[in-house]
Amino acid sequence: MPETSSTNTAGAVEVGDGPVARSPIRPLPPVRLHAGWEVSGRRSEAALQLADLSPLAKVHVRTSPTSALASFLEVGFGRSARDEGGRLVVGAGPDSWTVIGRTGTASEIVASLQAAAGAEPASVIDTTHGRALVRLTGSDARRLLEKVCAIDFDDAVTPDGATFTSSVARVVTEVVRDDLDGLPSYLLACERSSGQYLFDSLLDAGNEFTVEIDGFPEKEI
Amino acid sequence: MILIPCPHCGDRNSSEFTYAGEVHSRPSPGDARQGPWRDYLYGKDNPAGWTEERWFHGSGCGKYLRAERHTVTNEIRATRPEVGAGASSRTRP
Amino acid sequence: MSTAKRLLSGRPTKMRITSRPGEVIDRSKPVRFTWNGREKSAFEGDTIISALAASGERVFSRSFKYHRPRGILTATFHDPGCSVQVGDEPNVRGSHRLVTAGMKVTAQNVWPSLKLDVASANRAAGRFIGAGFYYKTFIKPERLWPTYEKVLQRFAPGGRVSADSPHGSYDKRYAHPDVVVAGGGPAGMAAALGAAEAGARVMLVEEEHSLGGHLRYGSETELAALAELRREVEASGAIEVLVNSAVTGRYDGNWIAILQRNLPHVTERLVKARAKVVVAAPGLIERPYVFEGNDLPGVMLSTAARRLLNLWAVAPGTRAVVLSANEEGDATAADLSDAGVHVAQVVDARRGEQVVRARGAGSLSEVELGDGSKVSCDLLVTAVGWTAPTLLLNVAGDRPVYDERAARFVPGDGLPANVLATGGIVGDGPTAALVEHGRATGRAAAERALARDGTSVTIPSLSPAPHPALYRSRTHGIVDFSEDISSKDLVSAAREGYDSVELLKRYTTATMGPAQGKLETINTVAVLAEATGRSIAETGTTVWRPPHVPVSLGALAGRVLEPVRYSPMQPWHEAHRATPIVAGQWIRPEHYGDPAREVRTVREHVGLIDVTPLGKLDLRGPDVPKLLNFLYVNKWLKLDIGSVRYGLMCGEDGVVLDDGVTGHLGEDHYLMSTTSSGADAVAHWIENWLQTTFPDWQVYMTPMTTAYASINVAGPKSRELMSRVVSDVDLSPEAFAYMQVRRGTICSVPGCVMWRIGFTGELSYELHVPAGYGLYVWESLLAAGEDLSAGVFGLEAQRIMRLEKGHLIVSQDTDGLTQGYGVGLDGLIKLDKEDFAGKQELEWQLERQGYNHLVALLPDDASVVPPEASQIVTGDRSIVGRVTSSRLSPSLGRSICLALVAPQLAETGKSVTVHLPDGTDVRAKVSEELAQFDPGGERLRA
Repeated sequence: MPETSSTNTAGAVEVGDGPVARSPIRPLPPVRLHAGWEVSGRRSEAALQLADLSPLAKVHVRTSPTSALASFLEVGFGRSARDEGGRLVVGAGPDSWTVIGRTGTASEIVASLQAAAGAEPASVIDTTHGRALVRLTGSDARRLLEKVCAIDFDDAVTPDGATFTSSVARVVTEVVRDDLDGLPSYLLACERSSGQYLFDSLLDAGNEFTVEIDGFPEKEI
Repeated sequence: MILIPCPHCGDRNSSEFTYAGEVHSRPSPGDARQGPWRDYLYGKDNPAGWTEERWFHGSGCGKYLRAERHTVTNEIRATRPEVGAGASSRTRP
Repeated sequence: MSTAKRLLSGRPTKMRITSRPGEVIDRSKPVRFTWNGREKSAFEGDTIISALAASGERVFSRSFKYHRPRGILTATFHDPGCSVQVGDEPNVRGSHRLVTAGMKVTAQNVWPSLKLDVASANRAAGRFIGAGFYYKTFIKPERLWPTYEKVLQRFAPGGRVSADSPHGSYDKRYAHPDVVVAGGGPAGMAAALGAAEAGARVMLVEEEHSLGGHLRYGSETELAALAELRREVEASGAIEVLVNSAVTGRYDGNWIAILQRNLPHVTERLVKARAKVVVAAPGLIERPYVFEGNDLPGVMLSTAARRLLNLWAVAPGTRAVVLSANEEGDATAADLSDAGVHVAQVVDARRGEQVVRARGAGSLSEVELGDGSKVSCDLLVTAVGWTAPTLLLNVAGDRPVYDERAARFVPGDGLPANVLATGGIVGDGPTAALVEHGRATGRAAAERALARDGTSVTIPSLSPAPHPALYRSRTHGIVDFSEDISSKDLVSAAREGYDSVELLKRYTTATMGPAQGKLETINTVAVLAEATGRSIAETGTTVWRPPHVPVSLGALAGRVLEPVRYSPMQPWHEAHRATPIVAGQWIRPEHYGDPAREVRTVREHVGLIDVTPLGKLDLRGPDVPKLLNFLYVNKWLKLDIGSVRYGLMCGEDGVVLDDGVTGHLGEDHYLMSTTSSGADAVAHWIENWLQTTFPDWQVYMTPMTTAYASINVAGPKSRELMSRVVSDVDLSPEAFAYMQVRRGTICSVPGCVMWRIGFTGELSYELHVPAGYGLYVWESLLAAGEDLSAGVFGLEAQRIMRLEKGHLIVSQDTDGLTQGYGVGLDGLIKLDKEDFAGKQELEWQLERQGYNHLVALLPDDASVVPPEASQIVTGDRSIVGRVTSSRLSPSLGRSICLALVAPQLAETGKSVTVHLPDGTDVRAKVSEELAQFDPGGERLRA
């Protein structure tokens, strides 16, 4: 099984001043601190890579699709796009959105969204700690996902920017096609507690394509 | 495996949904007598033919929907969202 | 020296003939393997059986019932006599599986041995093993069945399964082609091309190791046509070709199941293709002829002979008789001559010539013809007609009809719009006609798949060619080669009254063996028709069912996908040797070695438990109180900010659904907790009401169960410990009282929720910490509490302590019939509320009375712990209740239980009989209170 299944905290970074946040997916060494989160500094050159992006800020929005907040978010259900601040706005459901930003920016995102909502009913919640987020990148990514997800990953059906929620390896997962430098890339988010399982399942399904673990990306999102 | 046209997500495998039973409206609580109440709880028409039923898209959009399904052929001719879930219906030609 | 003479020279490795134009073996790559321990040589591209046949082997197994020697019949996957064992793998189709270097092949079903002539044995046995043999013979006396079973097992076919075989790698894959073409012969390849040209994404599935169907072993013209088709398929770019793969069935929504075999990295893979349109192009299967001796090694189908000759360059014999009723037979005779095999006689069935019987000891040596003449030979090739394998059409709802003129069943007219057929199952013709029909059918499939009108596509007609009806000679022979059923068996079964084909099949097991009717269905029908004096059309045929080929359980299972959930503190639990327990998807610490000591830590000092799996639902909106008031049986319209309340939920049937506390965090903002096992169900329950019944209510529910790491800090020193790590919340009993909630910073982590509640009965704080900081806070709390003797406790200690306190666990102390009244919370249920889930049934429950009550039981012998689910019985042994929870209480030093009992027993001091699983009875008394420890609750209110 994958290298991530080490079962102790011995490899963790030294606790310095202040709290340390940890992803549900155990990081491969070298481990470093990034904005208060333990992340892996490993770099892979493999053609197919899996990276843990769980520290990124994730804000969950529920509001009516006809509300002012919905028009502020612009993106419709089933699509995703970057806003001016480089955050990824994901149209996650008929009346829900996920906004993904750089590590540590959740409260800022929450504040701006609450301001945009005004007095209309809306729920804006920081779910950074509630969701695991991974990124699978490479030309074989589609073939890997076809083993664990019943959705059609053909470019015509699931192009760059497409978003859906479905079962991935039997876990309810939000999937965003978010290509990187022309390479097919998919963000996958699930409940935090299932994160390690989802990560391990993707590695297992990717055996055939020699998938490798990459560390936390400099680009973040 | 049957395909269910989710009014929000499109065609999905039925394994993404939970069956939530035939659509029966809840008797008004004030004057509910045992007969109609028990019928609401346990009475199933279970026709060999078209029926309207609820499905919950738990592995997808998280919405309840109503489907008109033929219990013999499994054909689903129409689905629509529940009143509290917004968005459009899907009808199959 | 002629080939025939060379072959006859008796050197067994010399059945390999000189190069054939379409051969699939690579003579530059020899492969060595073993057959029953003896070394054999082959070439890459050989199947196990072609390699063995090349070396002169003729017998590969013994038949199912009579243990007659069996050789090659079809030289395809479905060859009934050619199943072998490869290493640990039983039932390998030897005429299909390619030889690999070092392969260890052994014969199976060979008792007593492959070589021994068991003619005498089977002649003796043949009289007894008639139709319905198993149903009649081993019925009585029943006590002898174990003996019968042992004997039968030695006769039974199938190889040996080893418990030590390494686990194969099995896999699944989802696919979404517009068009699936099942069958890669000329019509199938053309259909794939036609569909791709019309813009469809195509998956082309071929059972053999390469595309081509019958063209592969055909004439030079056919080989040239094949080369052209292959070139086009390769160039297309829109066709995914799966070889050594089979469409095993079609299911709802045109879900096409495809089995892929022997891939790199993968033993078998099940492809679940959601096709918009499927084109069935399986070709035709050649039919065996029924006559005496038709199963002797050396008697084979014309296609088998041509495959051996032209694909693997193996001479199927040295001196041949060819029974021909069609062009395939004629072509076989020509190929045999061309390859140097002496054709002693061509028996032309079209001129009424007949083969009556075949003779030979162990293998064929002589054929007797219709005119009484006898021809000595070691090969009899039969070409008497075809079967259309219409499984895919059958499962789509079509019923095949018998075409008398062509002497075969053909598709009916019952196909749905998303299933089309082409090639041999539709009709016959030269390659060009098959290709033309296939291409047009493929184009039509694409038009339908892409929802275009498709009127421009005209599919040319393709009809079955006339063919003489040849099923059985005037002698009796084997009909089902897999199950060893003869035509005589079928005739006697028909005489016994099994004169419907479906009954006959089940009674005799004809068509039910490994070949699954592909070779024997039509002959079965024909023999039955003859025996009952009906026509074949009147007799009808059995319906083929999936799977088309055997599918291993591994392929159905696929890769192991069993989601598990971990808490953020899991690394700590593992490092501290927690004994894990599986609770739903969660892996939780049951204990860390000594649950009783963990209980003492909590009762005397302070303990930490990881309760992350507790359901946590964030509820926002002005109508949350209305929702809570509806979901819970108690009242919720007034709850101050900063307070929490316990609530009980019932279903609409009044049955207890869940319980937990909900806290009012801020304006229009609540946090609900549920049981760990009920977290998902309650979330769905809430969505159901909001979406289907109360769409106007302004409530947003967000599951936050795993967004928080949840830690219960319990024990008399918990306030002291909390005061060391919480800076911005006044923890004094006056400021933060029992059943209150605060938000604040713990161990410098902001955004935490803490509520003062206590499942354990001690002063305790339940902390909900942003999950990423869970491990940090857990370790910091332990460090901060070191001098307070702070420790950890697991689920078991918690269960003991809650039992000491008499707190129920929903679904442990209640079941699917336990309604709201009677579980010790009657006072909570407010029937004066206008409406709430389950209200009606709870009203009726109260009127009806007679329901069970949850009581605490104290066994008279304090050292006896009645196992959970022990029955509570009356003097006349009727069951009047059961123990739902029981433990030895370390705090009280005695056994304690909760039990659901009939109302007449629910009285303080009542003595009851508990019937233990070991058969003994013990007495126990109903206790006054559910709580045995601190019933007044002073400790948790401290």
